[in-house]
Amino acid sequence: MIDLLERADPARDANPDFIRLRAKVDERIHRPTAKPGIRRPWLNAAIAFGAVSAIVALVAILRLQQPSIYAPRLDGLGEVPGIEDVVKLASGGVQTAAVDGDTIWVVTALANLLQRISAVSGDLEMTYAIDSHVEGVVVGGGYVWLLGYDNGGEVLRFDSSLGNVDLRLPLGGAPAHGAVWFADNLWVSNDQGQLQRISANGEILETSVGELKGAGLGYLWVNDPSTGLISSVATDGTRGEIVIPTFEGLDTMSGNGVRSVIEAGGRLWLLDGDFPWGTNLSVFDPATGELESFGGTTFGLLAIVEFEGSLWVTSHTDHLLIRVDPETGEVTRFSVPGKAGGVFVADSSLWVSLYHPGSLVRVDPAALLEAGDIVVDDWDRFPHRLLCTGDPAGPRVILEPNSWIDYGSWSVIQAQLSAQGFLVCANGFVDGDATPAERAAALDEGLTEAGISGPYVLVAAVDGVHSARLFAEGRSDIAGVVLVDPIPIGFGDFYDELLPDLDGHPPWADLEETVAGDLGDTPLLVIGHDPTAVFLSRKFIEGAGAEAATTLNRYWREGLEFYSGLSTNSRPLEAEKTGLDYVLWDRPDLVVEAVIEVSTNP
Amino acid sequence: MSKSNVVELGAEFDSLFQLHHDAVYRYCLRRLGTLDAEDAAAEVFTVAWRRLKEARADNNRAWLFAIAYRVIGNHYRSRRRRRGLVARLAGVAYEPLAEPPLEFEILHRALAELRPTDRELLQLSSWDGLTRIEIAHVLGIKENAVDQRLHRARSRLKARIDSLNTGSPETKEAPA
Repeated sequence: MIDLLERADPARDANPDFIRLRAKVDERIHRPTAKPGIRRPWLNAAIAFGAVSAIVALVAILRLQQPSIYAPRLDGLGEVPGIEDVVKLASGGVQTAAVDGDTIWVVTALANLLQRISAVSGDLEMTYAIDSHVEGVVVGGGYVWLLGYDNGGEVLRFDSSLGNVDLRLPLGGAPAHGAVWFADNLWVSNDQGQLQRISANGEILETSVGELKGAGLGYLWVNDPSTGLISSVATDGTRGEIVIPTFEGLDTMSGNGVRSVIEAGGRLWLLDGDFPWGTNLSVFDPATGELESFGGTTFGLLAIVEFEGSLWVTSHTDHLLIRVDPETGEVTRFSVPGKAGGVFVADSSLWVSLYHPGSLVRVDPAALLEAGDIVVDDWDRFPHRLLCTGDPAGPRVILEPNSWIDYGSWSVIQAQLSAQGFLVCANGFVDGDATPAERAAALDEGLTEAGISGPYVLVAAVDGVHSARLFAEGRSDIAGVVLVDPIPIGFGDFYDELLPDLDGHPPWADLEETVAGDLGDTPLLVIGHDPTAVFLSRKFIEGAGAEAATTLNRYWREGLEFYSGLSTNSRPLEAEKTGLDYVLWDRPDLVVEAVIEVSTNP
Repeated sequence: MSKSNVVELGAEFDSLFQLHHDAVYRYCLRRLGTLDAEDAAAEVFTVAWRRLKEARADNNRAWLFAIAYRVIGNHYRSRRRRRGLVARLAGVAYEPLAEPPLEFEILHRALAELRPTDRELLQLSSWDGLTRIEIAHVLGIKENAVDQRLHRARSRLKARIDSLNTGSPETKEAPA
């Protein structure tokens, strides 16, 4: 057997082209700037001095799917522990935000809107439509500066007293990579590593080479192309007084390298987004010149800010807000109700922007729910957690999310059910690669380890239905099942056949159907999205056509009938004013009612 | 960091590349096929360059393979995000082979149907030639777990091959 295996090695006689491979490596490690024409996966825009660091290319990295066409019912967010104020924003969520005193300026992800919010009252005071694709915002010099993607990249100066853009400046042929207000000037670097210093009156004072990382310790910090190192830029423009001993600033175009830099506790903190390794937090002490790694924390770190002596970091992939004690290195993870983007301080409070559902939330760190314990961390997958809340003696409810979505998607439903006396356990498995069988096994293992036995009411969303069915198979402790807009069998293939010219079906349609038995006479409710809703977004329809959208929607609706047939004791429900795959956000109340119904149905 | 430090690191990196580029390339080739292997190998050395200070003087090969293991995982995730076909991914690992003998074809099918952890263990051991200690480092598991898992993986592989040879229904099970 071992001999056969060795002989069957398909690469036994393969040899690489040494020169070509080395050239590829050299190109990656020695080229500090962007390849022209390549859309950057990460945009480190709007690193507003001392206040906000935010990555704004969220649309590209979060989900291919667009937000619901309906305004989500965000009222329930205020019931989630630790969430104090909720500012409802346009569907599409927050692209980036900047703080100016008690005012928060937000650029939305999809609709090219600039919104002004009072950090004191939490009121959305004004919405401005911007006639350009805007990806970042910085405040300084009495103006709001917008980073535009159109016309090869430009800076737009927005006069808030007039409510309009009064100046447009070209950015050297590439969109902005990052921007900071520093030393009474706007500093902007573009995707080709060109750094511009712009005065408040719109004069370009200086153009040089460099990639902006942030500001702190009285310096601007820029990736230096001559060494590949991050070095200081003083207020008078002098470069290189301090050099950070890291190579992490090299390759931002592949999503790696230091993403942003902030000052805290007299030291400089570097947020490194190195995907294959997860992300990493490092600290540079200018007194010693030493750079210390804090180690990998989690996947998908986005933004960092200092608040009340701690560092707060957002992680969009697993719906977490992470607190780091800069003195002890202690890391604490908290659940937040959505895909977190930016984190910043305004009105002496900590704020988090949620890409979906599009909102800003003021958080009370002391009241946030700590993330559940890790129960499975196998095969180098992202950690799987189980977060249980509510009455330990209450009826048990299990919430199984769809893939690519963590348990934060259940926050509102979990909070409401917990308040009604249920013990609610949300399964958090953000790794979309996990098979339904692996997810079901992880759920079983987590519940066993937590000592939470049935009977359970099982609630599953979209493709989470596969793992939920496998979990339920052969068990006698399933008291009821609620399927929330379950993905129809064969949807991915149907999508690809219908739209062969598009770039494949959405990632959440990847999981193939897993063979599982029916549910006998277990009480079952199947909630479908609004039958009049179109498939995906206006943007999708523009690309694929309204007819295709209607066809896909019909296929999905018909697929729901299959699921209703899984139990002899089932009932279909239609969730009015919900988008496909967005029932959790658009109508959490309906899911809560459904759980109560099946749990009381004999 | 001074420029002389940069030069020293450069020399260390050159040596690392010279010694291990072929093994890293083959590792990527086995798992991704010809289309992506070279890019993945380049990515491995790019990460290695940035993390050079973390290199394990006692076993650079295991350290590089541990990087490669994560880079490949990332490639899989990217691919699946694009198209997401588990079966396609399982099959593509053997793309570079010319017409394989039947016994190899069955073995490759059996391998593709194993759990990813089992498949990786077997490949690291038999194809990449890693030692028990190196495998433990790459997979982040304890050394004494490697033998046990390898034994189980070989048993499962043999069972798969047997069922494929006899045409048992078990063979229709989707790969993990």
